[in-house]
Amino acid sequence: MDILASVAQGLGVALQPVNLLACFIGVFIGTLVGVLPGIGPVSAMSLLLPVTLAGTPEAGIIMMAGIYYGSMYGGSTTSILVNIPGEAASVVTCLDGHEMAKQGRAGAALGIAALGSFFAGTFAIVALMLIAPTLARWAVAFGPAEYFSLMVLGLVVLTFLTQGSMAKALLMACVGAVLGLIGLDSITAQPRLTFDRLELYDGIGLVPVVMGLFGIAEVLHNLERPIAREVIKTKLSQLWPNRAEWRASAAPVARGTVLGFFLGILPGGGAVISSFASYALEKRLSKTPERFGRGAIEGVAGPEAANNAAAGGAFIPLMTLGIPPNVVMALLLGAFIIHGLQPGPLLMSQNPTLFWGIVASMYVGNAMLLVLNLPLVGMWAQLLRLPYNVLFPLIVLFSIVGVYCSSNNVFDVYVMVAFGILGYLMRKVGYEPAPLVLAFVLGPMLENNLRKAMILSQGDLSTFLTRPISATCLVFAAALLLAPLLPALRRKRAVVALDETA
Amino acid sequence: MNAPSSERRIVLGSAELWAALLWLAVSVLVAWAGWDLGIGTAAAPGSGFLPFWTGLLMCGFSLAVLWSTLTTAGPSIASLWSGARWGNVIFMIVSLVVYVALFETLGFLLATIPLLIVLLRGVDPVPWRTAVPLAMLSTFAVWWVLKRLLLIQLPAGVFGIG
Repeated sequence: MDILASVAQGLGVALQPVNLLACFIGVFIGTLVGVLPGIGPVSAMSLLLPVTLAGTPEAGIIMMAGIYYGSMYGGSTTSILVNIPGEAASVVTCLDGHEMAKQGRAGAALGIAALGSFFAGTFAIVALMLIAPTLARWAVAFGPAEYFSLMVLGLVVLTFLTQGSMAKALLMACVGAVLGLIGLDSITAQPRLTFDRLELYDGIGLVPVVMGLFGIAEVLHNLERPIAREVIKTKLSQLWPNRAEWRASAAPVARGTVLGFFLGILPGGGAVISSFASYALEKRLSKTPERFGRGAIEGVAGPEAANNAAAGGAFIPLMTLGIPPNVVMALLLGAFIIHGLQPGPLLMSQNPTLFWGIVASMYVGNAMLLVLNLPLVGMWAQLLRLPYNVLFPLIVLFSIVGVYCSSNNVFDVYVMVAFGILGYLMRKVGYEPAPLVLAFVLGPMLENNLRKAMILSQGDLSTFLTRPISATCLVFAAALLLAPLLPALRRKRAVVALDETA
Repeated sequence: MNAPSSERRIVLGSAELWAALLWLAVSVLVAWAGWDLGIGTAAAPGSGFLPFWTGLLMCGFSLAVLWSTLTTAGPSIASLWSGARWGNVIFMIVSLVVYVALFETLGFLLATIPLLIVLLRGVDPVPWRTAVPLAMLSTFAVWWVLKRLLLIQLPAGVFGIG
């Protein structure tokens, strides 16, 4: 009953006109960036981070969350109609979704993607609602040692799942942590790594770093080669799957939902991993695996449900522990901090209207997304005809404006350009930016908890190993660090390693 | 005698090698900066504690990457850009740097409209009749939303326009 009362309270917040508008803007922009290749939810969220300052914390965070789960819906449209993933979590949808479109079944593919996403999204919200309060009560007992070890685990899982060399990913995580430490030491107020530049005393901003590494670097990368797009010209009137398609899709949607949700909760996990895991699972369970890659609807239904469920699951570690499990959630943490809020175990008790308002807005947002993505799919398909040479100057414009507005300081625009060039070069030599950004956000928290734990234990480092939760996290992290040394596990890692943030 | 020198040339031209060396230099700098700030003790870690140890970890990972570039042949610097339209990339970077340099002097409107026209015309040229209105409309729309709706201050430049 408590939960029902809380949901009712949350709906009261979510249904306020200003929050409804924020939710609509969020899911609309989310669908838009999901549909458009070359700009993903990370870029869009960092772009709009300063805009959220103009409103209430509820409206700002509802909008940011809407962009994330909205992009999961939109990404499938591009995958199915153009065979280019609109965002990374929809890469796997290209395999069977586009084949279905070529066979004249684009409507059914889009329909099952949207309906599966709706089901998975709704499940994730209900599960979030039920799990979060329990986990938050449990997390109150966490001390600095547990937080430190959890963050270490999150970073190690992300580096383990990042494409390419693990040494490079770990190096990037360290670089991110160091960048996060630039500025005044929070304990001694001593300037660190500031090179006597006044602009660096407050540290480097999250928005210019993310916009540079993801927005500008992506544009530079795309300018190297022409992006060829061939939109499938098909009748999109038959969006409701037929009975046989429903029968084939029901179990994959259910499995994808559960799998995606739990993979989303794990630190370092996310929508991309879950969509690939769901695809692999469906192929393995299928009696006719040879149909996969040739237009099997299960190959669309499972992964699309999984990536949406993971998007919902990813909110759990952020809202209950205050630890972002991936880059997108790190940006959302930035939004909380900008508004003077600290997500974590106390958020639910100290700020229940905000917590339940966000959760309830996800119900509303999911319903909006179903309308945006089924009846209006033709409009999004038209948008895909927008050529990249028109699109990229607009992305640049929004990036500049977003970064400048975040601080009203032109220095941040320089930082964005510098990180854009760095991100472009990093991509050239196989260094992934995702571990850098997550460590950049976690760096100050990691240091704070490490130093607190060491001071509390009077320098006894065994405190990290004598506390069960901390020890479990560190042992698991160590196992993942050692795993690539074993050839069999190295091959497995190569299969699941993904570009989480494109 | 020729074979080893040719192999040596391939290794020296390796993009990964130079990247690893660069990161190694950065790592040493970070560790040194941490040392300089003061590591403190285990019971009272100083400001340089985490930078120092992270710098050392970075050294280790850089050396691991360096070792892998020496043992396996990676792509050369030239091959990374072969067939790529790298002129577009340089054009874009130069345009952005010039734009940022002039941003506060000219103001948002006077700096942004030319930037957009340059980008629309400079890479896979968009016709003038599309490029100019698109640049002007999008810039004015953004300016109006930020300045009038969200009341966010944008630089007006020395001419006070915007």
